[in-house]
Amino acid sequence: MIEAEHLSKIYGTTPAIEDVTFSVEKGEILGFLGPNGAGKTTTMRILTGYLPATSGTARIAEFDVHEHSMTVRKQIGYLPETPPLYPDMTVEGFLHFVGRIKGMAAGDRPSRVESAMTRCNLISKRNVLIRKLSKGFRQRVGIAQAIVHDPPAIILDEPTVGLDPRQIIDVRNLIKSLAGDHTIILSTHILPEVSMTCSRVAIINRGKIVATNTPEQLLAQIAEGSGYELEIEGNIAGLQKRLQELVGVQTVEVMSSQAVVQRRHRLRVTTQSGFDPGRQIAAIVVGSGLGLYEMRRLQASLEDVFLDLTTEEKIADSSEENSQDSDELRSEDSVETSQDTQDINNNYPASPADAQSSEPGEVA
Amino acid sequence: MGTIFANIMAIYRRELQSYFASPFAYLIAGVFWLLSGFFFMAILLDGQQGLIAQAALRDQLGITTPPIDVAYQFLNFFLGVLGSLSLFVLPMLSMGLYSEERKRGTLELLATSPITNWVVALGKLLGVVTFFVSMVLPLLIYESIALGAADPPIRLGVMVIGHVGLILMAAAILSLGMFISSLTDSTILAAILTFALILLLWVIDLVATSIGGPVGDAITHLSLIRNYNNLIQGILDVSSLVLFISYIVLGVFLTAQSIEALRFQRS
Repeated sequence: MIEAEHLSKIYGTTPAIEDVTFSVEKGEILGFLGPNGAGKTTTMRILTGYLPATSGTARIAEFDVHEHSMTVRKQIGYLPETPPLYPDMTVEGFLHFVGRIKGMAAGDRPSRVESAMTRCNLISKRNVLIRKLSKGFRQRVGIAQAIVHDPPAIILDEPTVGLDPRQIIDVRNLIKSLAGDHTIILSTHILPEVSMTCSRVAIINRGKIVATNTPEQLLAQIAEGSGYELEIEGNIAGLQKRLQELVGVQTVEVMSSQAVVQRRHRLRVTTQSGFDPGRQIAAIVVGSGLGLYEMRRLQASLEDVFLDLTTEEKIADSSEENSQDSDELRSEDSVETSQDTQDINNNYPASPADAQSSEPGEVA
Repeated sequence: MGTIFANIMAIYRRELQSYFASPFAYLIAGVFWLLSGFFFMAILLDGQQGLIAQAALRDQLGITTPPIDVAYQFLNFFLGVLGSLSLFVLPMLSMGLYSEERKRGTLELLATSPITNWVVALGKLLGVVTFFVSMVLPLLIYESIALGAADPPIRLGVMVIGHVGLILMAAAILSLGMFISSLTDSTILAAILTFALILLLWVIDLVATSIGGPVGDAITHLSLIRNYNNLIQGILDVSSLVLFISYIVLGVFLTAQSIEALRFQRS
């Protein structure tokens, strides 16, 4: 239904997106996930035909967005980053206007406007000037204008931005209810949003797609490489070293400050991907005569996947900046660092902080 | 064809509605009415300078040649004043046409809707011209009261051509103003630039005479005031009509082009 093939957009000399390829099947919801400035908006604007791509093609319902622009425009509903609203119109008047310029038959319009308002919970505000609406309602009017003409493809750029938790849930449910009849792409920098609403995720960072998969599979991809948290009673002096020597163990960290009871220690063991040495870890702990009170697998969240995929790039880049050495050394550098993502996350707090700061909005 | 018309009407209605919903537009209209009413009184009824007073003075002095047609003279003066007033009013009407859309992000809605740029431009222009016409209509009432009392009566043709000239000139200015508005996000900047441009076009025949030669002669024909003066004298000068219509078409064309070009710029 929606296809992007090798899309690139270059502003002057700075590439905004490079070689972006993905496709969305009919009825799917694709989450377009990436930090701010990763190229999400640019990609969406190309898909809607608002911006021309420097190279590559985008098709909606088999029509090239550039060559058959008018046909494509009838097929899409689009919510840009800032909802395109006329403050001096009423909600209902505005939706009628949108219906008109989208080429809707005059006979269908009243019922379509009515149903768009119902779906977006705007009935009570139908005669209110948009100027007087709160941010949350404006966002809903923005979504209503994207669906009023019942387009087969809906493109939503950060639909939940600036909403309170209650409204976020409403909007997510609304988006989910649209799936099936409609094909939806939504962009966001909020991770749980993707796992809650989307059937597939494309992660974009620095203008490149770094992963496309279902949320579950993305999680599975790194679940085995996450690790364990242990609570151990006894003297752990030698234990740390022995665990470290195990095949597949990446780091062993003592979080003594979290000791619940005296002489009990909490350890965090992270493992390399492809290894699951839970059995051996337990055997070593018990074999050393220590008490194992808790052993819990660290749950990978989408956030981890996201950081895993997006920080790697950053590191490669910053090592480029730092290293004045030969190309050879540089590539070695980036390989090394990318293996060590967990550690590096601590060194590059910019994006973890980003992701965390988005979380309060997520608490339902 | 039907859809194009429907689209133009959709844009037109929205545009017009936004003028009638805007207190600023009423303020402009109010000032325009106030000033035009003041000039109406001054031209016609002023104790010394007013046309009626002057005609009466001539009668008293027994001057009968050349005969003076007060009604015609009055209409001529008054439309001239309205033209000058419009110079200040029109940039304020056209300034927001596109710059507001750019600022609000609604241009993105229009640009991703199945509607072409020139349809949007034409719809908007029709909207703002209609608003201007609605500003001029009330003046017609007191004009016709005054002129209805004229003996011999004024020829209807003169009145029609004069007012059509005013509307056409306004439409030409608004069309160019719309283009300038499409170049910037700033309404104030759009107003200032539009004012500068039409001031230049207003007095360009002065510039032209100082240049002289065939170039100067050619430039003279671009002058707004020159062509406007032709029309308000009741002369149905086709070249003046063509010039105004050319300005209108040029404005719509340039607007559509500039909106198209906007896509290729960094946003």
